[in-house]
Amino acid sequence: MEASATTVTGGRSVLERSPIGRLPDRVLKWGLSALAALILILIVYFFIRLIGQSGHVFSTYGLNFVFGNNWDVQANIYHGGALLFGTIVTSVIALILGVPVAVAGAIYINELCPRRLRNPLTILVDLLAAVPSVVYGLWGVFVLAPRLLPAEKWFASTFSFIPWIGGGIPQLYNYFIAGLILAIMILPIVSAISREGIATVPSEHKEAALALGATRWEMIRMAVLPYSRPGITGGAMLGMGRAVGETIAVVLVIGSAPKIGTHLFAQGYTLAAVIANEFGEATGIHTSALFAAGLVLFVLTLIVNMIARWFITRGSHGTRGTGATGMTIASGPANEK
Amino acid sequence: MSATALPQISTRRRLTDKVMRGSLLAGTLIALIPLILIIYYLIHKGLSAWAMSGFFTTDPTGSFFGSPGGIRSAILGSLEIVALATLISIPIGIGVALYLTEFGKDSWFANTVRYFVDVMTGVPSIMFGLFIYIVLVIGRFGGSGFAAWKGAVAISLLMLPIVIRSAEVVLLLVPSSLREAALALGAPRWRVVFKVVLPTSASGLVTGSLLAIARGMGETAPLLFTVSTAFALTFSLNQQMNTMPFLIYTDITSPRAAIQTIAWGTALTLVAIVLILNLLARFVASRSRMA
Amino acid sequence: MAIVACGSSSKTTTTAATSATTSSSASSVAPGTINGAGSTLAAPIYQQWASTLKSKGLTVNYNPIGSGAGQTELAAATVNFGGSDPALKPSDFAKMKGAVLQFPVAAGAITVSYNLSGIKSGLKLDGPTVAGIFMGKIKTWNDPAIKALNPGVSLPSTSITVVHRSDSSGTTEGFTTWLSDVDPAWKSSIGEGKDVNWPTGTGGKGNSGVAAVVKQTAGAVGYVEQAYALENGFTYAAIKNSHGSYVLPTIANTSAAFLGIAVPADLGISTINSPNPGAYPIVSQTFLDAYKDPCKDGGANASTAAAIKSWLTYAFGAGQQTLGAGSNQLPYAPLPSALADKDNTQLATMVCNGAAIS
Repeated sequence: MEASATTVTGGRSVLERSPIGRLPDRVLKWGLSALAALILILIVYFFIRLIGQSGHVFSTYGLNFVFGNNWDVQANIYHGGALLFGTIVTSVIALILGVPVAVAGAIYINELCPRRLRNPLTILVDLLAAVPSVVYGLWGVFVLAPRLLPAEKWFASTFSFIPWIGGGIPQLYNYFIAGLILAIMILPIVSAISREGIATVPSEHKEAALALGATRWEMIRMAVLPYSRPGITGGAMLGMGRAVGETIAVVLVIGSAPKIGTHLFAQGYTLAAVIANEFGEATGIHTSALFAAGLVLFVLTLIVNMIARWFITRGSHGTRGTGATGMTIASGPANEK
Repeated sequence: MSATALPQISTRRRLTDKVMRGSLLAGTLIALIPLILIIYYLIHKGLSAWAMSGFFTTDPTGSFFGSPGGIRSAILGSLEIVALATLISIPIGIGVALYLTEFGKDSWFANTVRYFVDVMTGVPSIMFGLFIYIVLVIGRFGGSGFAAWKGAVAISLLMLPIVIRSAEVVLLLVPSSLREAALALGAPRWRVVFKVVLPTSASGLVTGSLLAIARGMGETAPLLFTVSTAFALTFSLNQQMNTMPFLIYTDITSPRAAIQTIAWGTALTLVAIVLILNLLARFVASRSRMA
Repeated sequence: MAIVACGSSSKTTTTAATSATTSSSASSVAPGTINGAGSTLAAPIYQQWASTLKSKGLTVNYNPIGSGAGQTELAAATVNFGGSDPALKPSDFAKMKGAVLQFPVAAGAITVSYNLSGIKSGLKLDGPTVAGIFMGKIKTWNDPAIKALNPGVSLPSTSITVVHRSDSSGTTEGFTTWLSDVDPAWKSSIGEGKDVNWPTGTGGKGNSGVAAVVKQTAGAVGYVEQAYALENGFTYAAIKNSHGSYVLPTIANTSAAFLGIAVPADLGISTINSPNPGAYPIVSQTFLDAYKDPCKDGGANASTAAAIKSWLTYAFGAGQQTLGAGSNQLPYAPLPSALADKDNTQLATMVCNGAAIS
């Protein structure tokens, strides 16, 4: 074997791996790439079948299906504008109510609470994820909706000057109750993912802030929150996905009125709920309309995700880290120099 | 160095600190209130079902007059179906997340995959069931109409985006310094992945997987049009099978009060099972970290 | 839905143990596993029957996803039989893979249940009044229209909260069909269907959803299936029938709806607004649908076809005795013997790949 101090057969440097040695790496890379491609193909196929099933209703109504406001099963007319409205409204309520609470909990658990309480509190918040969605809905029906109705009535009359929020006559099942239930349902997932992000803030950042004289809150604001933004946003995106697509819990407490509600406590309808309510009995163009509702949800999530990504990359400072998720990350100390 | 005291924090800043810390605590407590209320309600309505004879050891009878039986077939059915769904979605999910963080990074392909996976998290659970329905059930694929394995596939579709997304967040948080150190020591990529990246993110991966499993166990909609139901205990994946969420969904509508109580008891059982899985997995994850 | 057990002789069925008595059908149950889906109204009946037949070796799995879904499943041959409240229309038959037989099996009343403290069951309401309530025209319980029908009753001024179904349902179809029959204003403005444009009221999901809202809301009124109302002690109205009498939704009055109605050749009956003087007017029938040739069209083999036939034989035979007003019976109206005979005659025409089924 002719070799020198720094080369082996074939002129390779000793530091370089042999072709056989590189094989596992190649296998891993191409194996995982194939897996990712497979998933992409699956998602696209799902999309295609969805489009196929909804074709009928889009060819009949065009974009009126999405934005028109007339969902009339009896007359076999399907314009889902009111459903889209309901989906957006309930999800926004869920995010407004749920994300701050979840993130507050995540911060508290990781930064402020006594160490021995950390695990029990974590388990408790995650326990919310263990509750099946149908139970959330039933709890909403039997407990939340009736109990909150008097408070809603008070709120609506006291704040009647605020357009859309106040002024109407609260119904037993309405946008607010549905949004509230959704907020509770997304708490565990937003909290858990945020927690992961917050837990990995390097202590150097935190200690530096404290050493500079920051109060605990200021340390959190300056060192923890910016670093954990991808985690928090990731959690919020998953939470939003859950809120937008939740079927069973919402269908029990939304009232299922296919109209654009005139106030926060009016009955409404969502794209996911209509599928659960009507698929069993639907035929022909009705079935197509329900698949189309699923398709609209798909596209809605597509658009919201695009906006969220753009918002995050625009708001971040410079180009650091791998930027793999489209969100830049403040990398660890190695890249700080 | 003078002996003067360090600069005092202004009252405003001190106040802000106290107020914000209080708000964070309040937020945590607010998060726990619904949990306590729901668990209390579940126990209140469902505990008496646990006391019914044969609740865990017999199958539902469907009988209106006599003993309503228990929920054994539903418990085992749910476990079997979710186990299969987990077997499918977790390895694949973590694999895809690994691809995205280690190899794909910022390429157009990786970003496309990422984007579509994010979108999948927003698909209503019932759509996965309907997708499997039109692809596998209607054509009687595999010689059966409704079948347990088809339900498992629908559930794994539901779980996949959650696993991928949460795993990716966690894997990205592994400091590059660790990776680079391993590479600098001459480790091949695959070693870095299996010996450095995965172990470091293990507990986070477990958290994400548990969230996905909890979701999978509690979803009814994907099962309605893929698995249907059965009362008797069966382990055959190519047949209709009983599941807990389905049982809750249908039993709660029964005119008979005893069967409604069984529905609540089933809900309580479901929560208890997921809690146990949660604790078990945490225990295993912490043990493996110490090892 | 209430499944009505057919008694061979009288309507007042005894509480004798169902499984042991009838020797004819009990012994000849073909073993196997069959799957069905459809009507939620009939679900308790089919589940009860399934539990009885299980000990004889016949396993029946039933998924209560709704009448329409049951029809769809049968059309796709993913189930062996479908449960449907409404009779199959020609367009429904056309979607099937082959000839389908429909068998009326039982009937259940749709009660108009209310939550009004101090007012017991039996408040008299007629068609136009109920329509007025559900249209939102009659807003309080002491409205003159209601007062006129109930002279001796002191009605509170509570406002009426209408509760209807939020999901598509055969029960809604039954209720609105009746309303269209008895009130021209309803027929022209709202009409009938599984899902209608309710001008007012709260939507509850499923029968139990409606029941939950009625229970929680003082002054609420909603349409609730008989089995549910009876089992849970609801207060319900006495409705004016086609003969002008105010009738309560008892099992006997529900069974009376079967008498005097037209029976078409394909047995696609309707018990709404029955001409029988003693009948409760809002009664929904329910059917079991199966392929005439399950082997050729439904993908079944010979033993499965035999199992289907056993199931149906039981349904019109011994099963009928489990339905009725007795304490050991399911609260649904059984078939009159004449109708059960017609079912059996039709069942005899079921074949497997052309050959008769043993």
